[in-house]
Amino acid sequence: MKSADPYRWRRIVAGLALMLGFSGVLFRLFTLQVLQAAELTEKADRQHRMSVTVEGGRGGIYDRQGKVLAMNMEVPSVYGIPASLENPAGVARDLARVLHVRADDIERKLKREQKFVWIARKLDPEQGRSLERLSLEGIGTRMEGRRFYPKGPLLAHVLGFAGMDGQGLEGIERRYESYLRGETQKVVLQRDALGRTVFPKGLNEQGPAPGHSLTLTIDEVIQYIAEKELDEAVTNAKAKGGVVLVMEPRTGAILAMAINPKFDPNSMSALTPDRWRNRALTDAYEPGSTMKVITAAAALEEKVMGPGTLINGENGQFAAAGRNIHDHEKLGWMTFAQMVQKSSNIGAAKTGMALGEERLHRYLKAFGFGERTEIDLPGEAAGLVRDPKDWGRQSLASIAFGQEVGVTPLQLLNAVAAVANGGWLMKPYVVSEIRDGKGTVVAQTGPQIRRRAVSAETAQALTAILEGVVTHGTGGKASIAGFRVAGKTGTAQKIDPQTGRYSPTLFVASFVGYLPADDPRLAILVVVDEPRTEQWGGTIAAPVFRRVAEQALPRLGVSSKSPIKLALYDEYGEARRDRVDRTLVRLASVGDPS
Amino acid sequence: MKTLAGMTVVGLLLLLLCVWERVDIVRVGYHIERLKQQKVQLQRERDELRVKVSSMTAPERIARAATEKLGMGPPEQGQVVLVKVAPDFAPGRGAELRLAKSDVGVRIP
Repeated sequence: MKSADPYRWRRIVAGLALMLGFSGVLFRLFTLQVLQAAELTEKADRQHRMSVTVEGGRGGIYDRQGKVLAMNMEVPSVYGIPASLENPAGVARDLARVLHVRADDIERKLKREQKFVWIARKLDPEQGRSLERLSLEGIGTRMEGRRFYPKGPLLAHVLGFAGMDGQGLEGIERRYESYLRGETQKVVLQRDALGRTVFPKGLNEQGPAPGHSLTLTIDEVIQYIAEKELDEAVTNAKAKGGVVLVMEPRTGAILAMAINPKFDPNSMSALTPDRWRNRALTDAYEPGSTMKVITAAAALEEKVMGPGTLINGENGQFAAAGRNIHDHEKLGWMTFAQMVQKSSNIGAAKTGMALGEERLHRYLKAFGFGERTEIDLPGEAAGLVRDPKDWGRQSLASIAFGQEVGVTPLQLLNAVAAVANGGWLMKPYVVSEIRDGKGTVVAQTGPQIRRRAVSAETAQALTAILEGVVTHGTGGKASIAGFRVAGKTGTAQKIDPQTGRYSPTLFVASFVGYLPADDPRLAILVVVDEPRTEQWGGTIAAPVFRRVAEQALPRLGVSSKSPIKLALYDEYGEARRDRVDRTLVRLASVGDPS
Repeated sequence: MKTLAGMTVVGLLLLLLCVWERVDIVRVGYHIERLKQQKVQLQRERDELRVKVSSMTAPERIARAATEKLGMGPPEQGQVVLVKVAPDFAPGRGAELRLAKSDVGVRIP
């Protein structure tokens, strides 16, 4: 019997063909998914995964009021792919217009036989936008972090600056590099066929942590005041430069550190290290008469002298250990206090000799000379205080009035601030707080005592003497109405590098002091280097001290304790003197408004 | 037969759901990426504005604008008066302070 199904064979063939087809597919699947799985997965990963290194932004630097002093911003850097440029000369011309550089320089770069060339890095955001509008073939931009110092030259010597790759090179930027620098992280991105980033692996992946931010003890406004007054003084005196330091004597916190000449950390290319050196702590100088504060402190503490002890001024000329010492005015018998107030070199030399080498040296050390103050800034010098065994015959007398010792401005201010602080020598500091990227405080710096330099009684007695310097001594121009000011002038001869002797024309004029003398809130040092118009610390530096203090005191909320004339008015504008006693407010003024 | 058909339909629906889910993951992924880009862009703008504000409020610039544009000058001696409220001062009693260059006064109704 013949089969009734005429298509049987066809079905069998079709079935076999399908089975074969499916077997082929299955076999291929098996090869792809099992046998070649590892190799192919790796190949695919290579194509759609991209590994990039991402860095968290550098932390900001803020003043004590939270004002921005340094911060990071992402800005475009422009690059070229020379192979994909058809008309390098035309592209270079277009770029030159936006970048403000010579077109031939750019053209030269674009004609290099390289796959990739940087044309300009870290442009201004506005330039980046102009470039985007041009949309040139073969030219692209990549975002990079750039450091900005929005206040320009303000506080530049303290802040320092960061290099092209964002690493701190000077100042706080260098000292706190490990905190400021953001975390580096490798991130794997998934790309689609068009090179766009697709779904990030692991949504919860945190980006790299940004660097820590720093809060300084510096007050932006006081810093500005100090810089403005210093610049003016340097210009007026036709001086080489200068330093103004403002400090809180009770804590050691630096409120301002002004250095002249200045520089702008935003445009560093044409500057030499000489310009950005923080002279307040890197350069030691012979302080001259301001050092008499230390000699006097030692003499009072050792009870070698009392404020009323009589000293013979030798009529302005005195031979000590084979050296003639001169005073700027002919003085006869005077008290120890007058010796300081009139700034007698002869009196100071005699005081030094009465103390002796060992004791004078001990107090120099106690006040922190010859050692670093350990301020949190890089490059600090220790100054020069030689061991007494290396002193010459004249050294004792010379050191007593500030020669033959090298001190940094910061050391000198810190030492005088110790007198203001009842004899306690503090460690100066500029960074008060470090916060992480989320704003959590990770470190705080408070006042740190280094040691007691002299007793509170000595500090008090010396303050009274130093007040006299301002009320009836060489520092009259530092006086501020309504405030008790204690301080000392200094006019130091500089050594002429040509002759190796003290120059008759090169001087350092300075004034160091603190106020209010009975409750010191500010200690200020003014140093003017090589003034040309006149040399005296009392006329060049003391007025700067007064102007800085006068403007800084209201900023700190420090008011005078001396009463001012006050009129009371009722609602009809009638003067009601009878209500003066009932006044609800106490008015205090810088100066007398009447 | 009915059960088989039902199961096939359910299976197909599940498969579609699976495919839809994958597609949606990719779509949302792109959206997230776009938002991320937008966030970065906004952060850049914010930083740029912060730098601008900060440089515009620099004391040096304010002082220059005050003296050159507005004709202001630093206060002279006696023009700065700091007022401290006495510890027993009770606010809201209507005490008023009037302070001026040549007229330092306190008015108590």
